[in-house]
Amino acid sequence: MAGLLAKERIIAKPGFNRWLVPPAALAIHLSIGMAYGFSVFWLPLSRAIGITQPAPGDWKISTLGWMFTLFFVFLGSSAAVFGRWVEREGPRKAGVVAAFCWGGGFFVSALGVYLHQIWLLWLGSGVIGGCGLGLGYISPVSTLIKWFPDKRGMATGMAIMGFGGGAMIGSPLADILMRHYATPTSVGVWETFVTMGVIYFVAMLCGAFGYRLPPEGWRPAGWTPPAQRSAMITTRHVHVSRAWRTPQFWCLFTVLWMNVSAGIGVIGMASPMLQEVFGGRLIGAAGTLKDLSGDQRAQVATIGAGFAALLSLFNIAGRIFWASLSDYIGRKATYYVFFVLGFALYCAAPFAGKIGSIPLFVAIFCVILTMYGGGFATIPAYLADIFGTRHVGAIHGRILLAWSAAGILGPVLVNYIREYQLAHGVPAAQAYNTTMYILAGLLVVGFFANWAVRPVPEHVYMTDAELEAERRLAHEAAPSKS
Amino acid sequence: MPSQAADPSAPRPSSWLLVALAWTLVGIPLAWGIYRTLRTAVKIF
Repeated sequence: MAGLLAKERIIAKPGFNRWLVPPAALAIHLSIGMAYGFSVFWLPLSRAIGITQPAPGDWKISTLGWMFTLFFVFLGSSAAVFGRWVEREGPRKAGVVAAFCWGGGFFVSALGVYLHQIWLLWLGSGVIGGCGLGLGYISPVSTLIKWFPDKRGMATGMAIMGFGGGAMIGSPLADILMRHYATPTSVGVWETFVTMGVIYFVAMLCGAFGYRLPPEGWRPAGWTPPAQRSAMITTRHVHVSRAWRTPQFWCLFTVLWMNVSAGIGVIGMASPMLQEVFGGRLIGAAGTLKDLSGDQRAQVATIGAGFAALLSLFNIAGRIFWASLSDYIGRKATYYVFFVLGFALYCAAPFAGKIGSIPLFVAIFCVILTMYGGGFATIPAYLADIFGTRHVGAIHGRILLAWSAAGILGPVLVNYIREYQLAHGVPAAQAYNTTMYILAGLLVVGFFANWAVRPVPEHVYMTDAELEAERRLAHEAAPSKS
Repeated sequence: MPSQAADPSAPRPSSWLLVALAWTLVGIPLAWGIYRTLRTAVKIF
């Protein structure tokens, strides 16, 4: 089995089609992307004992919500800790371990639901599954960058688009399965966990076994590296242990942190924000949300859910669009667009609310969400440009800690500022205005961090001797001299 | 006389069938997910 997963076993033979690698990566990212859709389980799990309504001993939704924190903390931590191991051992072994962690996490969680032990859910899906998220997320990055030197952004964008789209498949599938398995004595969650665990395990194994690495020195047919390369795209390599000590790493960390913090803040509040800002106007009635009847509020809530769904579509579309565009306009320019256009849009959102323009308000947030997704999808190519491709997976793993940090900063900013404003008598419809300006401020910080990104100095690059030692460690052949 | 060797980095023509199959396998569930999301999203219009 170990030999089957070895890096040297997956070097592609002549004639291999590189377009087989992105679907393999997508199979893994679409599976782990279900992490975003876990809230579909909260309501049924909150009445696992009472079945039709919560009973004494049932879990609270706030308790279950800790799963998201665990997901993103362990995603970032495992990607940072195991990134170098992934580079050394190759994407297939990393993908298989990720499949065992993510699929196995579902089985442990199923046991937790069956025995009604919340710690088993946290351990299963949160900790073990979170490690699967981290390993699965970074497993295809450097492989795709090596296969697509001419389209780095597009290649990683395709995979990372899958992470955004995973919940679109997983949430309705979970809903269908829970209805299927529900009985008068069970809400059907543990059975759903087992079924989804099997599906994801198989899908991820298929993806992992679909990975191939290009032979050293491989280039796409008919492609030659441009003679006049941008100074912002290196052909050399920086070791991960040196990369994270450079100012460039921390500038890029800040770029990702600020972009994601602003976007996460919006994702969390999108549906209630639309409902509170426009109230009855969403259904052609007068008055704020408080003035509406129960039926009218239900109609408004349905529109709010539609808004959240629309944003998720723009989130995944942005991943492929911006990452592909970055291949033409450059990574730095792409992030400049995110920060300048994002700043203008965040500042314009309160105006759209003030004039009561629902289409303008919706359009603003749709574009903002494309840039949130685009930020995730473009960062691996940006790292490859600055630090080279040798350790890009491991460096990407470390920079994903910015995601964990954003998971704390974004929601905290949005929720506390809103509560502070409401406590000081600001009407609910206007309570988001200050938040928007503060999120725009985060983008100003990101703009300057992006501006400060420069090529790394000469002494930071790996020497030939270091590269050779690294190749031996990774069981790789030396590049041919021809 | 040496024969003109095929470019080893060029994919085999038959591999495109495999590519189509692989993309179909990931594309169908993704398209289903997008369709379900679109059905929810249209409620805003």
